Amino acid sequence: MSKTITIDPVTRVEGHGRVTIHLDDEGNVDETYFHIVEFRGFERFIQGHPYWQAPNLVQRLCGICPVSHHLAAAKAIDQIVGIDPKDLSTGATKLRRLLHYAQIFQSHALHFFYLASPDLLFGVDAPPEKRNVVGVAVENRELAVKGITMRKFGQELIKALAGKKIHGTLAVPGGVYKSLKAEERDTFLNGKEFPDIDTMIKWSQEMVDFMKDYHTKNRVFLDTFAAFPSGHLGTVRTDGALELYDGKLRAIDSEGNITLPDVEPDDYLEYFSEAVAKWSYMKFPYLKSVGRKKGWNRVGPLARMNICDYISTPLAEKARREYFEFTGSSVNNSTMYSHWARLIETLHCAELMKELLLDPDILDENDLVREGNERNVGIGIIEAPRGTLTHHYEVDDKGMIVRCNLIVSTTHNNDAMNEAVKWVANNVISREKTITEGMLNQVEVAIRAYDPCLSCATQAMGKMPLKAELYDHEGTLIGEKTKN
Amino acid sequence: MGKHVNITIDGRNILADEGRNLVDVATENGFFIPSLCYFENIDPPLGTCRTCTCKINGKFTPACTEKVREGLAVEVNSAELKDMRKGIVEMMFAEGNHICPSCEKSGNCDLQHMGYELGIAISRFPHLFKNRLIDYGAKRMVMEHNRCIKCLRCVVEVENDDGKKVFSYQNRGNETHVGVDYEEEKKLTRDQAIQAMNICPTGAIIVRGESVGKPFGERKFDEDSIRPDYVKPVKSDNNIDLSNVEKKRVATVSLAGCFGCHMSMLDVDTEILDLVELITFDKSPLTDFKKFTQRCDVGIIEGSVCNEENVETLRTFREQCDLLVAVGECAIWGGLPSLRNTIPLGECLEEAFLNCVTNEQGNTTIPYHKHLPKMLDRIYECREVVKIDYFIPGCPPDAQHIWKAVKNLLWNENYSILYSEFKYD
Repeated sequence: MSKTITIDPVTRVEGHGRVTIHLDDEGNVDETYFHIVEFRGFERFIQGHPYWQAPNLVQRLCGICPVSHHLAAAKAIDQIVGIDPKDLSTGATKLRRLLHYAQIFQSHALHFFYLASPDLLFGVDAPPEKRNVVGVAVENRELAVKGITMRKFGQELIKALAGKKIHGTLAVPGGVYKSLKAEERDTFLNGKEFPDIDTMIKWSQEMVDFMKDYHTKNRVFLDTFAAFPSGHLGTVRTDGALELYDGKLRAIDSEGNITLPDVEPDDYLEYFSEAVAKWSYMKFPYLKSVGRKKGWNRVGPLARMNICDYISTPLAEKARREYFEFTGSSVNNSTMYSHWARLIETLHCAELMKELLLDPDILDENDLVREGNERNVGIGIIEAPRGTLTHHYEVDDKGMIVRCNLIVSTTHNNDAMNEAVKWVANNVISREKTITEGMLNQVEVAIRAYDPCLSCATQAMGKMPLKAELYDHEGTLIGEKTKN
Repeated sequence: MGKHVNITIDGRNILADEGRNLVDVATENGFFIPSLCYFENIDPPLGTCRTCTCKINGKFTPACTEKVREGLAVEVNSAELKDMRKGIVEMMFAEGNHICPSCEKSGNCDLQHMGYELGIAISRFPHLFKNRLIDYGAKRMVMEHNRCIKCLRCVVEVENDDGKKVFSYQNRGNETHVGVDYEEEKKLTRDQAIQAMNICPTGAIIVRGESVGKPFGERKFDEDSIRPDYVKPVKSDNNIDLSNVEKKRVATVSLAGCFGCHMSMLDVDTEILDLVELITFDKSPLTDFKKFTQRCDVGIIEGSVCNEENVETLRTFREQCDLLVAVGECAIWGGLPSLRNTIPLGECLEEAFLNCVTNEQGNTTIPYHKHLPKMLDRIYECREVVKIDYFIPGCPPDAQHIWKAVKNLLWNENYSILYSEFKYD
């Protein structure tokens, strides 16, 4: 029986994509494609601009994780002015880190409470009018208030540091604009205006515990749904600890074997290549040494849990150990574990924020900007909420940007999201006579687990229609169904 | 002390010193006359920007070129004059490429400041997107011709220790631009170069290594209006009586937008839980409604229009919503993505897919597929595609600004925006 399934748009994610599912003449899934359908062209139109504009300009790639782009670009531009990460002043480094952790904290809170939790709380078959943050608030107002307040805490800290909650500015070439004033810092410690950092840690821990319990109750589904082997990529400290701001690149295969052995971010060009497919504006990065077929990596919370040896903060490390005790292996390839991993990172960032908020260095107004000998190339790599983010700029002797290369976190997950869609198509939709709204939502659930930021990935800004269509073995479109 | 003379401004008798500049006298007496080229050290005043146009003794005249004399009858605040002055500033925004979100001078820019003081959310004129040079030829500075409003300040005022001018007008008509004499510019001291940057009313003159100003909130024009007649609005006027309110439907969409405007909407934090008592979200990235379930009272549009699908979506919103609100710089006039408007689309695609340093050797594929919507030749403003009823500027707009405006549109709730909430960046 011929049919076309249309999911338009995919919601509770950011960006714009479309899925096509092609069936053979038996009705089995032959091919699936996750098309990214917008393109913006940042890498070209930033050319000709002065290098110092980059951190401010490129953060407009994304309204959810602008800080990540701001800081990745800033790290690259630091090098243009002759400052490597080790040369930055202690105060400037700590202020940037604090900004970064606040960003990850708010982004993860946003994803879990506003975007992902409706699927987890109400189930993939829940009516669509319920599957949103309003539905969560109606069902569990306390949970919604906590989630919203956690995001607020992160956003307020970003505002204190960067002047604005979205598209603010802290980093300047070689340092930072400003330090925190004591009274600004105290806002996050005294709980007068909003719950304090200790409360954030407590609530983050509660969410981790909630998720562990949720996995216990729903283990079969969560272990198997959209599970597939893949490589994993992230950054670690020299001692192997999870490092979100300035680490070395490490990748492993699906069984934990090292495929990229803690290399310097500046050398990324030696290791990575990107494939292009005619059916998507989003490219497909992979490790050259492993090859196109198996060299792609998942990035983001799930990958970071897999690649690090430990987490440097006590509560998050305890949570990490429990996570792996639960899974029973040292590498987890189950897509749905991303949510748990994301909450462990949320807890980690809350702990890190507390450490820094209590550190007098963030109040130091001296030595905020340093200068070095100018260079023509700058590379900045950072762990954004969604994974490893690369900014690479080349400038001429006058300071004009002549080349820009961006590998955005979600781009690394391109293959993974295609695999996830394929898994749902094969295991949920294939050979089904009736396609239900709940089945279609599972396509979105699989994609949503990656917290994709498709605006970033295509350097395109966009909405997120995801159009799924069925084709027979001759490539003929065979029907249509629209999800309301 | 000069002789006192009697003049009238908007019918009010004023005693002033003869020979003083009319803009200064008006300002001292509580009348706001916008100005851009006017600069206290430049005498005679330039009169190039016409932003201070008033009616003086019945004739349209730039106030900055007028010296106070006996019997002067000045009209400042008629509706016609206010609209004319606003239109002149809007024209400057449309004529150049003033992308505040990425400009070093943002927050300290006189043109931007005048936009704030005059309440300009959008230019009535179509943006020209002229492809102008960024000139790196000078030693100390970079000339960003996209931002130059040809006010003449730098041409007249900036000279080196040899007494030589550094800047001059070149070409004619709308091809006029400010040229830099590289040899004379080399002789500028650091302080002289910084003075040149500061004298520029926009971000056209940028001194290398000196362009980093102050953080948000500490910049010159972040917090307070300079208008003597500016009445500070009440910060919070959310006084909707929930018992008498009819619940409204709101749809939202992000076209070619970074999602920052949607994130800003959520930055009202727990107020969103009160809002959902008043409104139901219909089609939106924040809900799972893929299509409109019914007609909506307001559609909130983020982002510009970059492909055929955006066009379709925007037209659907126009059909399904009583009112459309364009939120953020991208939706209003293209914003930062409009940087590609001066570059052939093919070049953007080639850079990303053929020339990129991490691309596979020998790749010849540029994505082109029946499932990829056709890109438009350039970025379009939403209003170029459909009628837009209301515009909220910002990158992103302040959360309070968005919701105050939307509540006003839905329930005619009192609506006042703080000066600090109305920003382009």
